Formats: sequence, structure tokens, C-alpha cells
Amino acid sequence: MKEKATYCRMNPHGVFVNGRQKVSFNEIAVEDALTEMYRNLALEYPKFYKMDLLSKVAFLGVELLKTVDPSLVSTQNDDQIGLLFANSEGSTHTDMRFQESYLVDLLPSPSLFVYTLPNIALGEIAIRNKWHGAHMFAVFPNFVPVYYADHGKIMLEEGAKVVIGGWLDVREKLDALFFVMDEGLVNNRENILHFVSKCYSN
Amino acid sequence: MASNTLKEELKKHIIEQLNLEEVRVEDIEDDAPLFGEGGVGLDSIDALELIVLLEKYYQLNVTNPEEGKQVFYSIETMADYIEKHKS
Repeated sequence: MKEKATYCRMNPHGVFVNGRQKVSFNEIAVEDALTEMYRNLALEYPKFYKMDLLSKVAFLGVELLKTVDPSLVSTQNDDQIGLLFANSEGSTHTDMRFQESYLVDLLPSPSLFVYTLPNIALGEIAIRNKWHGAHMFAVFPNFVPVYYADHGKIMLEEGAKVVIGGWLDVREKLDALFFVMDEGLVNNRENILHFVSKCYSN
Repeated sequence: MASNTLKEELKKHIIEQLNLEEVRVEDIEDDAPLFGEGGVGLDSIDALELIVLLEKYYQLNVTNPEEGKQVFYSIETMADYIEKHKS
């Protein structure tokens, strides 16, 4: 059982992994900063450039967790890693860009259309990592720690060894959190609620 | 045969429209297959974007799937189609 699980926080100030700042967003547009981060990580995954903002944030959040502790995922089978994500806005950021493509440009964009569902971000993570485990993307008005505690436990009881939790709002301001839950953490409900809340408030 | 200017313009449009950030115009050979192994490596969504691109920049509408396979085979075939059909 891990005493301190890995987490990654992204907000308008920058990117923080386990509480330490990795990237500062000062005076840089968020999307440009994320592209720079992708290049600095030397991931060599050109599909990144085709993703919408929600998927880029999700993709990078999980890649950062993997760089901090590769054993988190390398020691599991492909169907033993669950993805449990949520946000307050669905895929609205991309929905609006898609709407603009047919209202303003009069030509609906296929490459935007395929991202007009928030769970596509989980598909991008699964494709990148070849993960076949359970995944879920919910939409709530606010960040809900109980969602991760309850559904994380279900995923772990149903065969997952590790569940990566995520919260990602991107439309008005970047507000994202990624963290790792294992059986040891979720078995104590108070612990998991405290951990998730603490990660979010950092 | 279509002009080099048209082919270069087409490559620039494709790079921009398909978000091929790490691809330069000189990386795309005129006769390299756009799809599948050994070529530019576009996918099915890119295929749809190419249809949109032809309409957006050249006011050409490819609706027949069989015709589409031939038109979108390479930069050369796309440029030839544009040259042949532009009014």
C-alpha cells in the first residue's frame, strides 16, 4: 500500500506534480504552454496535435503521472487500469468550436466533431497506452470527491488494480486534477475523501 | 500534370487543416500515398477533412466514394483533379 499516491494539478498558474511546480503559465496562453510541455516531454506522439483541448489536458495529465512513477502503470495488465473522470462542462469547449465551424465557416469540421463528447478524452488515453479497463466520464456542477471514492471502489472491486481519477474543466479557465487510487487508499473512505479533496485544493 | 504551385499550396492547406504540426511541405512527396503504410499516414477522419478542404478552398465536391479513393490517393492525384475541374 502506498503512503502517498501521485497527483497532478493544472490551473491557470501552471502544472504541479505532487505539489511541485513543473510548468508556469505566466504570460503564456494555456494551449501554447501545453504544446510546449508536450514537446519538452519528448513523447513523439503526433496525434497529440489533432486532439481537442480537453483531450490534450487529459493526455498530458496521465503522461505526467506516468513520468513521476512509471511502476504505477507498468506493473498492471492492460485491463487492470481504470479511468474515472468528470468535469462540470462536458465537451462544451469543443462543442462551441464545432458549432462555429458550421455557423461561421459553413463547413462542419469532422476533426472537431469527433471530440464533441467528453469521454473521447478517455479514448485517447486508452489508445495511447493500450488500456482496456473500465472507464467512466461524468458531468457534475462541481468537483465531487464522493464520486471518486464510491466509483473508484467499485472499479477496484471489479478487477482494476489502479484507478486514475481525473477532473478537467478547460472552457473558462484551466482546472484539472489527476490522481492515482489503489485498493489500499480507497478501502478507507475517509482517507480517500481527504486525499482527493486535499489534491484538489492544492 | 498539375502545377508545382498548386501542389505546394495543397500541401500547406493539408498541413494546416489536418494539424500535421511536425510535417513540413518538403516532407510530403507529390506521389506518396496519403493513406496507409509508406506514405503520409492519414486516417479516416483526415479523409473527411480532405473532402471539406476541397470544398472550402476549391469549391469542389467529391461525393462518390470510389471517385474519392482515386482523388485522394496522393497530392499529385488531388492536384490533377483540381486542375481538371476548376472553372
